[in-house]
Amino acid sequence: MQASLIVDELKKHGVTHVVGVPDNGARTLFEALWTDNDITIVDVTREGEAFAVASGLYIGGGIPVVIIQNTGFLETGDAFRGTAYNMGLPIVMLMGYRGYLTMVPGSERVDTAASFFEPTLKAWDIPYTLMQQDSDVAAQIDGAFRTATARSLPAAVLLIGTTI
Amino acid sequence: MLDKYSCLKKLAARRDARDVVVTTMSVAMPWAELSATDLDFAHVDSAMGHGADFAYGIALAQPHRRVLCLNGDGSTLMCLGSLVTITGQPAPNYTLIITENGTYEVTGNQPVPGAGNVDFGGLARAAGVREVHTLETEAEFDAKLDLHFTAPGPAVFVWRIERADEPVPRPTRPIKERAHKLRAALVD
Repeated sequence: MQASLIVDELKKHGVTHVVGVPDNGARTLFEALWTDNDITIVDVTREGEAFAVASGLYIGGGIPVVIIQNTGFLETGDAFRGTAYNMGLPIVMLMGYRGYLTMVPGSERVDTAASFFEPTLKAWDIPYTLMQQDSDVAAQIDGAFRTATARSLPAAVLLIGTTI
Repeated sequence: MLDKYSCLKKLAARRDARDVVVTTMSVAMPWAELSATDLDFAHVDSAMGHGADFAYGIALAQPHRRVLCLNGDGSTLMCLGSLVTITGQPAPNYTLIITENGTYEVTGNQPVPGAGNVDFGGLARAAGVREVHTLETEAEFDAKLDLHFTAPGPAVFVWRIERADEPVPRPTRPIKERAHKLRAALVD
């Protein structure tokens, strides 16, 4: 997926800030955002912080998006629950799906970052869709914003593979 | 050592009506007795340790208002990385007050890890915060009260306070309602 398409789609939705932690899959997306003049990146030291900072940004009138990897998402439980979710905030998150391909039948090693991921999303009441090619970008990100707004709760787009 | 109730009264008296004040744990209810405007937010029934970063987000989105967060030492220890995070994007309107009493007060004053041995001001400086003030006496507090509102942020104040016995804070309204009320006050 082209990082520029994702950045353009975020701009269409008026995103003011991206809060998160870079990972291999979203490396070029972060590089594109770091050089962008319209969206401010807020780097955090741990993924749980991303939801607290994003919640504050939203309450202050910003439109934040959280970008983290599934490994970090699994760390965020109490922060996600106690801020964005309990506060009822329509925050969209893009999350790297590390290990997606290890879940194919017959795989020698299943990455638990992947196998724990979707069950956790369901348990935490987070609606999500998958995004893995350029043609998915606009529809999936737009859908996440619509879902988040309709529920007044966070919604996720899961990034499969790497951005280029 | 400082008396937190006295400090809170002075802070409330000096606070501008446009300032946002985020409180946590053992400070939340005493502050609510002093100030209960739409711009006061008790980060309670939320996620312990995430009051400071939450308030930082508000400060980034509302650069023309002072945003103060009163965070306990136990809460600060739960998310020490926030001291680094707040130095990333500049928020010159952000003030973090760490109330250091050495205990988890609302659960019965059990000692926090490293109680008495941790230099919170030193941690903040090492994280890159340039405006750091550790206050132990009433005279020091009075001399630097204004700086809580005027120092270029991120500014960190460590209040070394006496032990007290506040119970678990219990706001009367759910956090969702309080959060949306704060947003309405800031945005609408």
